[in-house]
Amino acid sequence: METTATTHLPSDYLPILIQFAAALGFVIFAIVVTHLIGPKRHSKVKDAAWECGVESVGNARTPVSYKYFMTAILFVIFDVEVIFLYPWAVNFRGLGMEGFIQMIVFMTMLMLGFYYVIKKGILKWE
Amino acid sequence: MILAWLIILLMVGGILAWIAGRFNANFARWIALLTTLASFLISISLWLNNPTTTVKATNWMMRYEVPWVPQWGVSFSLALDGLSLLMLLLTFFLGLLSILVSWREIKTKVGFFHFNILWVLAGISGVFLTMDLFLFYFFWEVMLIPMYFLIGIWGHANRMYAAYKFFIFTQASGLLMLLSILGLYFIHGSNTGSYTFNYFDLLGTTFPPAIGPWLMAGFLMAFLVKLPVVPFHSWLPDAHSEAPTAGSVILAGLLLKTGAYGLLRFVIPLFPEAAQAFAPWAMLLGVVGILYGAILAFSQTDLKRLIAYTSVSHMGFVILGVFSFNEWAFQGVVMQMITHGISTGALFIMAGFLYERLHTRDIRQMGGFWPAIPRMGVFASIFAMASLGLPGLGNFIAEFLTLVGSWQANNLLTIFATIGLVAATAYSLRILQKVFLGKNKAEHPLTDLSLREMSIALPLVVAILWLGLYPQPVLDRAKPSVDEQLEAYKKPTIKPEIPAQVTLQTLPADTVRLLNTKGGIHALK
Amino acid sequence: MRLSDLYFLMPLLILVGAATLNMLVVAVKRNHKVIFGITIVAHLVAVFTLLQLNGSSYQIPPFFVMDGWGIFNLGLILLTSLFVTLLSYAYFEQREERKEEYYLLLILATLGACVLVISQHFMALFLGLEILSVALYSLIAYLRTRERSDEAGIKYLILAALSSAFLLFGMALVYAVTGTMSFPEIGVYLQSVSELPLLLLTGFGLMIVGIGFKLGIVPFHMWAPDVYEGAPAPVTAFIATVSKGGMMGLLIRFFSQADAYRYANLMLIFTIIAIASMLAGNLLALRQKNIKRLLAYSSIAHLGYILVAFLAGNRLGVEAVSFYLVAYFITSLGAFGVVALLSDTERDADQLEDYRGLFWRRPATAAVFTAMLLSLAGIPLTAGFVGKFYILASGVNTQQWLLVLMLVLNSVIGLYYYIKVIAAMFAQTKSVQERRKVLHPALSFASGGAMAILGLLLIWIGVYPTSLVQLIRGLLATFMTTF
Repeated sequence: METTATTHLPSDYLPILIQFAAALGFVIFAIVVTHLIGPKRHSKVKDAAWECGVESVGNARTPVSYKYFMTAILFVIFDVEVIFLYPWAVNFRGLGMEGFIQMIVFMTMLMLGFYYVIKKGILKWE
Repeated sequence: MILAWLIILLMVGGILAWIAGRFNANFARWIALLTTLASFLISISLWLNNPTTTVKATNWMMRYEVPWVPQWGVSFSLALDGLSLLMLLLTFFLGLLSILVSWREIKTKVGFFHFNILWVLAGISGVFLTMDLFLFYFFWEVMLIPMYFLIGIWGHANRMYAAYKFFIFTQASGLLMLLSILGLYFIHGSNTGSYTFNYFDLLGTTFPPAIGPWLMAGFLMAFLVKLPVVPFHSWLPDAHSEAPTAGSVILAGLLLKTGAYGLLRFVIPLFPEAAQAFAPWAMLLGVVGILYGAILAFSQTDLKRLIAYTSVSHMGFVILGVFSFNEWAFQGVVMQMITHGISTGALFIMAGFLYERLHTRDIRQMGGFWPAIPRMGVFASIFAMASLGLPGLGNFIAEFLTLVGSWQANNLLTIFATIGLVAATAYSLRILQKVFLGKNKAEHPLTDLSLREMSIALPLVVAILWLGLYPQPVLDRAKPSVDEQLEAYKKPTIKPEIPAQVTLQTLPADTVRLLNTKGGIHALK
Repeated sequence: MRLSDLYFLMPLLILVGAATLNMLVVAVKRNHKVIFGITIVAHLVAVFTLLQLNGSSYQIPPFFVMDGWGIFNLGLILLTSLFVTLLSYAYFEQREERKEEYYLLLILATLGACVLVISQHFMALFLGLEILSVALYSLIAYLRTRERSDEAGIKYLILAALSSAFLLFGMALVYAVTGTMSFPEIGVYLQSVSELPLLLLTGFGLMIVGIGFKLGIVPFHMWAPDVYEGAPAPVTAFIATVSKGGMMGLLIRFFSQADAYRYANLMLIFTIIAIASMLAGNLLALRQKNIKRLLAYSSIAHLGYILVAFLAGNRLGVEAVSFYLVAYFITSLGAFGVVALLSDTERDADQLEDYRGLFWRRPATAAVFTAMLLSLAGIPLTAGFVGKFYILASGVNTQQWLLVLMLVLNSVIGLYYYIKVIAAMFAQTKSVQERRKVLHPALSFASGGAMAILGLLLIWIGVYPTSLVQLIRGLLATFMTTF
């Protein structure tokens, strides 16, 4: 079978697979090797839970202010929005005026949401 | 149109009574009474305007039809023949009495009570008038809900249980009937191409032999439960004894009759072959009902429960007669429907009067009341005599005709049924003996019947005497309808199955055409 | 993208606009009345634009199709959502939480259901499903300080996400076999094969999990009682109606466009599901003392009834489903509307005890509730009876005797618990119950009016179903040409 522009053989994806394997391999390699060749010395002090030279106090599972979560969620939303922007920007010419209008609509909605979020006071830190 | 107005009148009257009842209880009573009276007068005028001699051409006096859901072939179709007219008269007569009976008995939620009474009556009149199977099922169910409320709200101590049982029994059997109606609808539709629920069109539908009995079974379930026939009777004693007096009267006098009416009007003409095949079993059930009801009636201590079991016994005659397939028996059945409605209704009214005075239905706490309340004693003994079938009173005519008819169909079972008459004597006399004779057990003086109560009881006596002494008008009125229902069976032979098979085998080519004519395969002769 | 596409999608665009507008108004100034007004107007306008579209079939390739079935379902969903909004005002006015975002979420959920019923492509299906689900997560847990509210929200979130995963996997398998995600093209593929490939059957099976979850049918029904109980009463009404109705609309579109009725094993699965739903729903409802849970189980059973008509797989069956959906929507709205109406500031009126002797305290409310329960039980004079009749007719017509008999049996079982509630309402209360704090009557005007309209609709359809039947037949004419 002849490879044309529109049909792809599974072998065409081989480079991606190789890169994937290489990335994964490097991570595994790094973890395993440092673990093996690094020096290990155990002592009572060394094995204790230890933080910045201060004795640890209390429970680690204290509630975290919801503001962190709010910020995190907002970050995710705007981060994902950027994912939409990239392919659009790459194909800006091909999509033409219609694509431009669609992106304007999308961004308007997003900005309105942003306005709502600000008015709701999520970014106020006190 | 006047037929539709009958039903609309009752329904509107019911709503008015409900609204009026919020302001004044007496308004509600009067509105209900006048509405029912108006309906009664309309049906009497229908009787007078259609003398029996002039209706020879057709037995249908009037017919009213407007499309309702044309997409499904459902029409709002009402028609009146002699049988329906008789039933209507009975309905409104007992309806009037039950409103009068409740005049003092019902003190709470009077408006809503009369709303329910009028809607039950409307539903029952609808059942007796409608000639469309969809509409029939519709009315069949419509009459249940108000009845449920009548029992459940104004009934005696154990009312919720009785109301549940009544509702679920009748609903379940009704749904089976709905399935059969639908089966009939689709079979007729695929046979002829016209999908309709119209009774007149569905008459003479032919079924594959395996289907007919099943379809009939659905109808039978609904009617036998309502009638009730013995294995399905257990809702009846509870419902009757827990209902308020008016509820008992309507239940015994009217609701049971819808079952009998359904058998006559639908089962017999729609399923001639299947009905004949089932006839011996049905008659057996009838006889079992007669004897079983009578024995249980004899051993009850609750007065209303006792009367309820007499209903089971009396309704046994109905099914015995219906499945005898001859004119005598059918006339007897029609008479039985009317006279049982009157006599049992009257007994329930008497029980209600006693309950008002004694606040108990237990006959062990009664006895020797005759000297104290002689007028009630006289009335009660007349009704008890009617119930046991004393000649001169209506029930005698009914049972006599039924037995004569069933003798022609089945000798052995008729003999057993006749034993039921003896048992009827026993339980009827037991009522009199326990309540009115013997040692006086009244703890405080009893008041005799008041003027209102007399005016309730007297018409009942007149009616039962008239039916006993001069039943001819009723019989004349019923004859054309009875003939019509019997048309499918009009054959000289006594054993119906064999010629039916022969004709089917000998004329295979013609059967399709001929089977479509009215009267099914028997019309071949 | 054509401009006429926008015209045909106008009802959906209006919903989007209304949601955005609501959000802005909330940002500028919170006012319950204004938001409520915008929401009502938006629904009315959306219905109005829907009426402008005639029943012809309009394709918006590849995702959407606007045909009679879609228009019917859109209208049903929009009107139902309108009624939910009407019922919500008095309910939320009594509560101290912030009320305004509720309407925003409600509009979004409605939008999701709307997308669902006009989609003819897996992508659009999933899009609609997720818009609906995500909005519902927050709606269910909206009154988050109440008892059981978190539980309901979390349960729904996890199970809905799980079922979405099943649905996605199923779609992937179907795509792997057929090479397309559009319903009509799947139908074309199915025409070309004589037997259902195993992989495709697996795909369909996994999709049924996702669909069954949304419909709340056995064995995917476990969430229903808890969510119904924990969610605010208007939201419960929404879940019982719009969310299920949207999925049913989609299911029928998928089956008729892909012509999947031909496969006996698929039909067998649905037959078992239908019977199990009817039985489980009704039997489990028998012992309930909590009205919301009782109605939850009853809705499981009712979806089973609808499946009986669905299984008929012909024109009469789809008509019956449509009719029953209308009847069931009216009835559910009415029933949950009464619950919402009777709820006070502390909790929802969901105990059977709250209804004892109601008829003598608030006759009008009790009369409406009685009518709704009788309709659920399928008693004449109500829409529920005609609906059940229609379903029985379609079942008898295709001679599915087992299903039909199960339906009859279950109707009788169902009667018992419906009557139990009615009996409680008509029971005499011995002691005069402490009068619960009721809001100013003017506030509940919208709710009261909505209930009255629902009650009248119920009776009207029950007594004179002709016009509705005509409407359904007219709209189905463009959809059912394949049959």
